[in-house]
Amino acid sequence: MNVKQRLPLMALITVVILVMGIYGLNWYKQNAIKTLTVNFTAVVGDQPLVFNQLNYQNPGGPGLFKVRDFQFYISNIKLISADGEYVEPDSYHLARFDNDTTSYAISLDNIPNRDYQTIEFSIGVDDTANGTLTSKGDLDPNSRMAWSWDVGYKFVLFEGGLAHDNTLYPLVYHVGFDENYRTIVNDLPHAVFENPQASVQFKVDIMKLFNGKADLNMVELPSIKFDKEDTRFLADNYQHMLIGVTDR
Amino acid sequence: MRVNNTGYLLSAVIVIVLLGGCFFAEQKVKTTPLTGFSAPFVFGQFTTPQDNPLTNEAVALGRRLFYDVRLSGSNKLACSHCHQQKLAFTDGNKGSMGASGKPLAFNAMSLVNLMWGPRHFFWDGRSKSLEEQALMPIEHVDEMDQDLDELIDELKAVESYQTLFAKAYGEINKQNIAKALATFQRTLVSANSKYDQYLAGTATLTDIEEQGRKLFVAHPDVKASLRGGNCIDCHSQFLTGGFNTLYDGFTNNGLDTEDQLLPGLQAVTGKPEHKGLFKVPTLRNIALTAPYMHDGRFDTLEQVMDHYNEGIKTSSTLSPLIVEANNIVDGVRVKPSLNLTEPEKKAIIAFLHTLTDHQFITNKAFSDPFLEEQKQ
Repeated sequence: MNVKQRLPLMALITVVILVMGIYGLNWYKQNAIKTLTVNFTAVVGDQPLVFNQLNYQNPGGPGLFKVRDFQFYISNIKLISADGEYVEPDSYHLARFDNDTTSYAISLDNIPNRDYQTIEFSIGVDDTANGTLTSKGDLDPNSRMAWSWDVGYKFVLFEGGLAHDNTLYPLVYHVGFDENYRTIVNDLPHAVFENPQASVQFKVDIMKLFNGKADLNMVELPSIKFDKEDTRFLADNYQHMLIGVTDR
Repeated sequence: MRVNNTGYLLSAVIVIVLLGGCFFAEQKVKTTPLTGFSAPFVFGQFTTPQDNPLTNEAVALGRRLFYDVRLSGSNKLACSHCHQQKLAFTDGNKGSMGASGKPLAFNAMSLVNLMWGPRHFFWDGRSKSLEEQALMPIEHVDEMDQDLDELIDELKAVESYQTLFAKAYGEINKQNIAKALATFQRTLVSANSKYDQYLAGTATLTDIEEQGRKLFVAHPDVKASLRGGNCIDCHSQFLTGGFNTLYDGFTNNGLDTEDQLLPGLQAVTGKPEHKGLFKVPTLRNIALTAPYMHDGRFDTLEQVMDHYNEGIKTSSTLSPLIVEANNIVDGVRVKPSLNLTEPEKKAIIAFLHTLTDHQFITNKAFSDPFLEEQKQ
């Protein structure tokens, strides 16, 4: 064969090598890189969450309340194993539940293959990110989660109403001082990654936001925003708001 | 070997032809990415539709269409009839007057910073993109009352449009008219007001403006001795418009009692909790865009402040943030009130005036190209 005849053959070999390379890489990825879906489903005590319905008992007093909006930041997700950590980049997720399944899902991709034992994340926004205007993940200084900018972001937002004495009182609970950042650590279910569609489930119990040392009476305290003691009360409560459904 | 070689050669040729085909299909219209376009980083990221990027050619076409009276049935009204640059692309009327001479029920919205904020357009959010929105006023009998097929024929007869369309998109059709208008509107960025200069650190606000800014970005909390005008609960701090996620940029701000509530967003979503919710407009250039509210019911910013301070009407979907916001402890509340002082109301209005951008309303890139040509 002369050079001219060889050219198409060489081109083809190059293509074949490339194709094999791509397939090989994919094969490697499937076997060495994992994905994990973290699901959050909102409830109110032992009742499902239905927005805008006066379905729920005032936790510490008379009257029924409704939820108009409920959102919070989940940030800095980490998977921890004995031989290393996976840290999600730009890990700021605004969880909201105004959808058909009242749930919120986070997909973690490109997780290196290790024997992870624990999942860690925080409710709120760390003080570094909370002090800048740069958009990262779901952080957006023009969103409804931004407030009096000296503070940064609201970490947890609850807005609704309480029906009591034939009147509908507004409920506004906004929490988000740096000190209200709360980290949550949970064991991962055993062998969770053996399932190719690996997932972990969390129940988000909105009622727990109001259950603390004492149960909050919405008649007496229909709004919490900038009072440090009140916001600490809510933060200490929401630390326990997420319940791992598949703890081992 | 010989046979195999031919086979390989053939497949190689097919691959090359296919790739080449894709390449040339993409390259049919050669456009250039829009030059010199920027926006402050505090506005956040923006995206344009994949099939309608910002190009110099599309902007030039869109601008011409925006100012062309051919877009109306009578050939007398352009988009700019109700969206005038000197008024930050509003028309100063309570309800705009179009083809039928019948005032519209709604106030013409300012066209500014449209790549940020709510992703639903019109006061009730009935349109999901600027492309979809663009054709609606053209066809509406009370607005421009134009038949789109007729419009296409009219444009096809004009040599300059043949060239402009060929350069920007290719064919003269409905989709490309909409795309061009949307693209021009996306370039209408206002980012050089005194507030922007303050944010960039090149200007300082006066004491009263700064007091107004602080009130603007604060939800009041008596318990923590924080006074606030409560504006930021609906108007984002930098863009000053509604929030962009889902329907977060729509609210019921207490203009009407229950029996007077219009459907608003409910007409789009069908949800009872959306009754009476309207799009939160941007406050950019607000001093130029009177009258105010979706129906233009208030003539002055003073009236708007009075509404929020003491004129709120209650209804089932009224925002709890409005009901709850109060600057004094006044026991059992008969009706919602912010209880701001007169100087505080004035301070907020002073801050609102820092949102006026004179460069925006005089920028030649946004002006009438036909007038420019007449001058030459």
